Amino acid sequence: MNGALFLDVGQAQCPKKGERVCGDAFRSRKFPAENRVISVLADGLGSGLKANVLATMTATMGLKFVSADAQILPAAEIMMEALPVCRVRKISYATFTIIDCRMESRTRVIELDNPPFILIRNGEPVDVAHRELVSPKHRDRVLRVSEFEMQPEDRIVAFTDGISQAGLGTDRHHLGWKRTGVAGFLCRRIAAAPTVSAQHLAEQLLREALSQEADGCAGDDMTATVLYFRQPRRLLVLSGPPYDQARDTEYARMIDEFPGRRVICGGTTANIVARILHREIETVIDSGSRTLPAFSRMPGTDLVTEGILTLTRTAQLLEGDLQPGERNAATSLVELFRESDLIEFVVGTRINEAHQDPTLPVDLEIRRNIVRRIAAALRDRLFKEVSVRFI
Amino acid sequence: MKKYTVCICSGTTCFVMGSAELQTLADHLPPELKDRVEIRFSHCLGLCNDRNFSRAPFVTIEGEPMGGATIPAIIERLGKLASGNA
Repeated sequence: MNGALFLDVGQAQCPKKGERVCGDAFRSRKFPAENRVISVLADGLGSGLKANVLATMTATMGLKFVSADAQILPAAEIMMEALPVCRVRKISYATFTIIDCRMESRTRVIELDNPPFILIRNGEPVDVAHRELVSPKHRDRVLRVSEFEMQPEDRIVAFTDGISQAGLGTDRHHLGWKRTGVAGFLCRRIAAAPTVSAQHLAEQLLREALSQEADGCAGDDMTATVLYFRQPRRLLVLSGPPYDQARDTEYARMIDEFPGRRVICGGTTANIVARILHREIETVIDSGSRTLPAFSRMPGTDLVTEGILTLTRTAQLLEGDLQPGERNAATSLVELFRESDLIEFVVGTRINEAHQDPTLPVDLEIRRNIVRRIAAALRDRLFKEVSVRFI
Repeated sequence: MKKYTVCICSGTTCFVMGSAELQTLADHLPPELKDRVEIRFSHCLGLCNDRNFSRAPFVTIEGEPMGGATIPAIIERLGKLASGNA
């Protein structure tokens, strides 16, 4: 994916009404050496914790087998035999969709009883030929294997049956929203926003599925996943003054030379850039709160924020602590991260003496530690490519 | 009538030392100052590392820095400016 096309991966899920844990599982991993991304979506039998365990085992095994290039039929047999058998239904059960995307060659999708994936190309769903494989040991389970070449701007959308069966039994959808309903919605969304990110599209699909339900609550576990093959969107984050003041000019110029979106996190950093590039900074009125300082605008940048407090909140948001309706500098930064694929941090390591004042009422984390936390969350949770360098 | 500009620093040090509270300055202005003050925010006034000044949080009032700023101290200073006793 070095400079070439990039696979943007997004997912959104919601547990069945009344459950606290989703019975679907999604795992995605990048293998940079092979220029390959493997994503697995699994739906466990039933709902709640038991389904989640089945789905998680299935997704984890699927990822391991495919990444090891195991033959798919024996691998699927092992997976089915490894799952614990439901005491009530006497079957071991999890359905799955495995998407094995090799960026410079063919993409393979292996499906077992999940709704068939949708490939959207040039704004339209495209039929993809598939072959079927049946294990002699499990004759009622048919594997569908599709192989095709991804083209720039293609999207693969996979989902569990909670999405395609949304609204089942309602006056609007006696038989549920169906795969055709999902495909129609996706095409409309993409027509309205042709470059919509994988994460946004997955979230929109989930919301729309929920809106098909009579009470707005999921009748079954719902998971939507989107893989979007596109030119990478790059983001540069400068935070902290350089250790050696002589490098301030080189540091500031990175803003103008960077081919992508640019963010500055830190008041001193913003002052250095403004001084060297002769820019004005304007703080946005009412963008601050009791817990986070306001953000600012500077020509040539997409966002200017305060440093440590905003980065700390950003790390918390990325690690899963999202408060509904929260709008501030940290959520704006998270939004920029979500819309980007290759994220480069350049972290200045000069110590801000004022932060060492023992009378400060809060402990300020060391910048490089927070940036490392953010980078890990971006890689592991949002599947971004991240680089961090210190200056 | 002349308006006085108050600029509140929202850099990290100032914010944790009290400028988070200073953001509510507009709610605390007495009636006679309500229409005479323009409140602005700065991403960082850059004063906290300057040993010539006292301590955070910093504001500037008509461009003059004030350290250890509190809402009563700002209002007192504005009152003096408005009454011509600055």
